[in-house]
Amino acid sequence: MHAGHLLWVQTLAVAQRLLLEQWRQKRGLIFWAVFPSTMMLLFGLVYAHNDSMKAGLDAAAAGILVGAALFFSCLGGTVAVIAAERERGTLPRLLTTPLHPAAYFLGVVIAQLLLALMQVVMLYSIALLIGVQYHGSLFLGGLILLLSVFSYVGMGFFLGARFARRSEEVVVALSAIGVPLLVLGGTFFPLEIMPQGMQAVAQINPMLHMNQAFKGVAAYGMGFNELRFELTFLFVFCGLSLALGIQSYQHLLGVYKSK
Amino acid sequence: MTAALQIDDVHKWFGNHHVLDGFSLRVEPGEVVGLLGPNGCGKSTVLNIVCKLLSYDAGQVRLMGEPLNELRYRARGLVGLCTQHCALYPDLLPAENLHFFARLYGLSDAQRKQRVAELMRRFELENFASTQVGQLSGGWQQRLHLAVSLIHRPKLLVLDEPTAAVDIEARMDLWRLIEGLRDSGTSILLTSHHLAEAERLCSRVALMRSGRVVADGSVPELLTRIPGQAVAKVQSEDKEAIIQRALELGWPVRQHANQMRLLLPHHLSLREIVDALEGAQVSAVSVQPVTLEDAYLELMSDSSA
Repeated sequence: MHAGHLLWVQTLAVAQRLLLEQWRQKRGLIFWAVFPSTMMLLFGLVYAHNDSMKAGLDAAAAGILVGAALFFSCLGGTVAVIAAERERGTLPRLLTTPLHPAAYFLGVVIAQLLLALMQVVMLYSIALLIGVQYHGSLFLGGLILLLSVFSYVGMGFFLGARFARRSEEVVVALSAIGVPLLVLGGTFFPLEIMPQGMQAVAQINPMLHMNQAFKGVAAYGMGFNELRFELTFLFVFCGLSLALGIQSYQHLLGVYKSK
Repeated sequence: MTAALQIDDVHKWFGNHHVLDGFSLRVEPGEVVGLLGPNGCGKSTVLNIVCKLLSYDAGQVRLMGEPLNELRYRARGLVGLCTQHCALYPDLLPAENLHFFARLYGLSDAQRKQRVAELMRRFELENFASTQVGQLSGGWQQRLHLAVSLIHRPKLLVLDEPTAAVDIEARMDLWRLIEGLRDSGTSILLTSHHLAEAERLCSRVALMRSGRVVADGSVPELLTRIPGQAVAKVQSEDKEAIIQRALELGWPVRQHANQMRLLLPHHLSLREIVDALEGAQVSAVSVQPVTLEDAYLELMSDSSA
């Protein structure tokens, strides 16, 4: 089999396996669906209760999708995949096969992209039902979501390869890192109500820029020019995150190879 | 004939620790070679080198006549590995695990379907076709693990203590399957702490100590290196008297972990042994022909009495 073809076959095999595992883990699948759906419904109820806040619902829906749902699904999912491979001893097993590291990495990316797509469809179906409106360009919104998913997967590889050795550690690590990032990313509260010091710190939080970019498109109909800074930040962060993820994964493989 | 595996004078250091010190071994096509030795002697290092999980510092390793270092990814298609820990995906079905690994090795769709069906049948996994791997017993998981390691028809199968984590019944089943592989001409390198396993499965055994092979040969050949044809295991409060009398009789004495073993020139009955030991107080005695265990203790020991 030609090397390029083999790489593609391996990539699809990894992606298919991850999706199949996700499908078989019924409980995990329920939590995966219930957590963001509940958030969306709760936010919908809160915003609908107060007429003066209804306009904010479009922004809140965008924040829940990028800031909460995709964070836990793509970043958390990737960390969990790496931790599980380490825990089950399948990582060294994979190293004895001709599986190319790039195929593994791409396979995880594809699986997470498909899961993210399902989250988007599920959450925006609920959002549209409770009266949320999408105002901007679908292409631009899709691009921001794509960059966000790549960034999350890259970070997931970094955290999974460097820190999470066991599945139990994944939940702890995600809570410890994720919740402060969610709060500082403007997922729950607008940035404007935070103290000046927190606002300054929030500027270096990539989730803030993901949130602002997607909110800008989805809730306020902004275009490329208005979101130039956020998009540039996202492109750079996405590149750095993927590079860090790949480097961390290679480091992990090196550790197993020298054991 | 080109050897399935040829390891010549390989050295490996971990920092200052000289783990492999001129290790050499040859596995002929269709041969089952057992690599035996105490924990920490370097067995796993050898297997990791053969599976390309580890590099070596000096010497040469050839797989099917080709230098391992030049084979790169191709080496992984020549070797199959089955360890004692079942490293499979517990949420997937047995066939799904097989299909996944078959795709990693680049088997075409038609080859993959045929090979998976063949292995499911050969390893009698069909009755568990709809059971997730995590729900299978340890023995059946290990059976599947062995099947997975054969999915790409490797030229060399590496078995790292394959039955260490299963019960006796499952061990017997796995032995039968490995015997089947041996009889069909698969070259196998096996490590084990069960000497009976090596005795039953291996056509040749290499005994390893401190990073090198100290003895190598078929089981009958290794047995000829013991200065006796039977071994009497003796328990006594008066060890000195037993040793004194045995040495007078010309019976070499070995002591391992508080057990006294007298190497007899030929098989003797229990009565003949007790009579020969004369006045020495014997509290228990048993006798049996020499086994691989005796050869192992004899050849690996530094302290023969």
